[in-house]
Amino acid sequence: MKDSLLSIRSVTKSFDEVDALQGIDLEIRSGEIVGLVGSNGAGKTTLLRLMAGVYKPTNGSVVLSNGHPVSQMRQELGVVPESTGLYSRLTAWENIRYHSRMHGIEDSVAWARTERFAEHLDMKENLGRHTKGFSRGMKQKTALLRALAHGPSILLLDEPTAGLDITSARTVRALVGQLRDEGGTVIYSTHHLAEAQQVCDRIVIIHNGLIRADGSPDELLEKTGTESLEEAYVSLTLEQARVRHEDTEKEGLLSTWWRKLFTPNTPKSTFGGGEDE
Amino acid sequence: MNEKRFHRVKSIAQKEIIEFARDWRTIMAIIVIPLLMFPLLFILFPILLESEAAELDALELDITVQSNDFPVELAQNLTNNGMNLTFESLPDMEFLSDPGSEIERVRNGSLDALLRFDSNNETWSYGILHLSTSERSNEARYRLLTTLSEWEDAEVRERIAAGGLDVNSTLDPLRWDGDVAQGDVATSGEQAGMVLSLFIPLVLAIWTYSSAIQPSIDMTAGERERGTLEALLCLPCTRMELLLGKWLAVAAITGTGVVLQICGLLFAIGYLASSSFIGIPSLSALSIGLIIVSILLFAVMVVAFELALAMRSHSVKEAGSILAPALMLILFPALFTQVINLDGIEGYWFAIPVVNVLLALRELLMDRVIVEHVLIWLLSSMVYASLAAYYASKQFSREDIVTSLS
Repeated sequence: MKDSLLSIRSVTKSFDEVDALQGIDLEIRSGEIVGLVGSNGAGKTTLLRLMAGVYKPTNGSVVLSNGHPVSQMRQELGVVPESTGLYSRLTAWENIRYHSRMHGIEDSVAWARTERFAEHLDMKENLGRHTKGFSRGMKQKTALLRALAHGPSILLLDEPTAGLDITSARTVRALVGQLRDEGGTVIYSTHHLAEAQQVCDRIVIIHNGLIRADGSPDELLEKTGTESLEEAYVSLTLEQARVRHEDTEKEGLLSTWWRKLFTPNTPKSTFGGGEDE
Repeated sequence: MNEKRFHRVKSIAQKEIIEFARDWRTIMAIIVIPLLMFPLLFILFPILLESEAAELDALELDITVQSNDFPVELAQNLTNNGMNLTFESLPDMEFLSDPGSEIERVRNGSLDALLRFDSNNETWSYGILHLSTSERSNEARYRLLTTLSEWEDAEVRERIAAGGLDVNSTLDPLRWDGDVAQGDVATSGEQAGMVLSLFIPLVLAIWTYSSAIQPSIDMTAGERERGTLEALLCLPCTRMELLLGKWLAVAAITGTGVVLQICGLLFAIGYLASSSFIGIPSLSALSIGLIIVSILLFAVMVVAFELALAMRSHSVKEAGSILAPALMLILFPALFTQVINLDGIEGYWFAIPVVNVLLALRELLMDRVIVEHVLIWLLSSMVYASLAAYYASKQFSREDIVTSLS
């Protein structure tokens, strides 16, 4: 059994009335590539934000192996959020250096690590360019380099291949594979089962804020008695997925009334007829 | 603050300033405009006015004079003042100012002004028709009034002399003895301080607030909208460090803008001073020190307040629609403060937010250091600055700031 790096214990996260996550128990072990799989609104991003210490759990705890809350040990983490979070008026290297400095890493050390991974991601020539003109793939690669530059114990990737072309997605997956070979620990959020199967040692299926399954691809097939992961996923997530909640902006009564005042009625459907008759 | 924290705060501030400075529009807004605003206003504007006045002076104006007995000397004076005269007989009317049938001639510009002039034994009556929306017509009226006044003055003097009286002692029986300016015991430095105290606090308050709007929004709601804040919140820095770093950056940018604007203002005043319009204010070291402290406290409060309001917003648009009208919170007290009489002012004025710092600046620019006032504005400003910083820290600690519209 590998050493535990991160423990999520009976975690519930609520936003107003909605429980985004309910009673989550998860153990992340050293050297694992864990795939968080679920539809939009399942709770993947909320779980990643809890792991990154950006959110505090409503109940339960998220602690590192030494017992410290993750928010106090952020230098152990490398995070690539869904939006990449790059500053367009800074160069790729300046973006990376900014985060490394915040981690207390010397520029020379960060540069050495960046150079090594940039070679692998075919980004070496672009490190001095402003990120404004970067493609989605280049931004994702830069965000990956930024997350790796300080040598984190755990890498959290939120939909790292979303919106990427086939070649870029493949490069990102290859890098994750390389990290696994070097003993790195990666939490990989995706809604592509095939990708999770290809990249991850372990798949955690989340649906409507609950963990529905947790195990290797073979274990999931065995547990559900299905022949493919897709069938397994469908059998585990039969009820309709809810909408994404934490980003849903709350609106005051006045704002709602004002907005509706300037919203014309949608034309009634002409298909199927009958209703108006 | 330990070394690691200091380095993180420094890194945040440094990055924000670099990123902000790389936008040329920012450089224009923060450096070029503040630097040039007052010199343009104080130097170029008078030059423009002078050239416009010279252009008006050079105009030959068409005047129609309606009179049955117009003095020859007056006609000569009018001609000498650049007016071409056309004489007509005076029509019958109750009052000389009635436009009558001449209204169209003045309105359509076929003449610049019409002078009606009538003699009644020992006195004269007159009326001028002009079009106030026409520059030429206004100039014609002005020249007519000036020439008539001079002619009347000469007539008065002539009549006094004809009556056997001394003209000067009759017209000016009470006179100031000596140089009028010598009667003011205030030094030129104090007078300059008085003049500056009427607009420097106003400029400082408004510019500090308005130049902090854009960076405050960019570094908070802008980050949130662009989705860069989430990555930042995953870093090993506290929200307070984040606030402090961003505050330093906004304060540095705003400070640069305000300092440059003051430099531009002083340059413009220096230019005017060389033409004896205004002197250089004389300030003690204590006054200068207190001015710096008051500005610093004001900046802490304003920048923290703006960062807090911007951080509450989900988007740049939302933040802009909150921060721009909030300028009124500075503008009204700033204008109000200009009319408050500083002599014998009650101490409580120095405890009112915004007003306190502006009044303090007014007093200090006049080199008045009144201990009671200084203590009140110093303590109240520290309280307000702390409250604003606390409010900002609460906003930065909100969990929902991680969510992004993008």
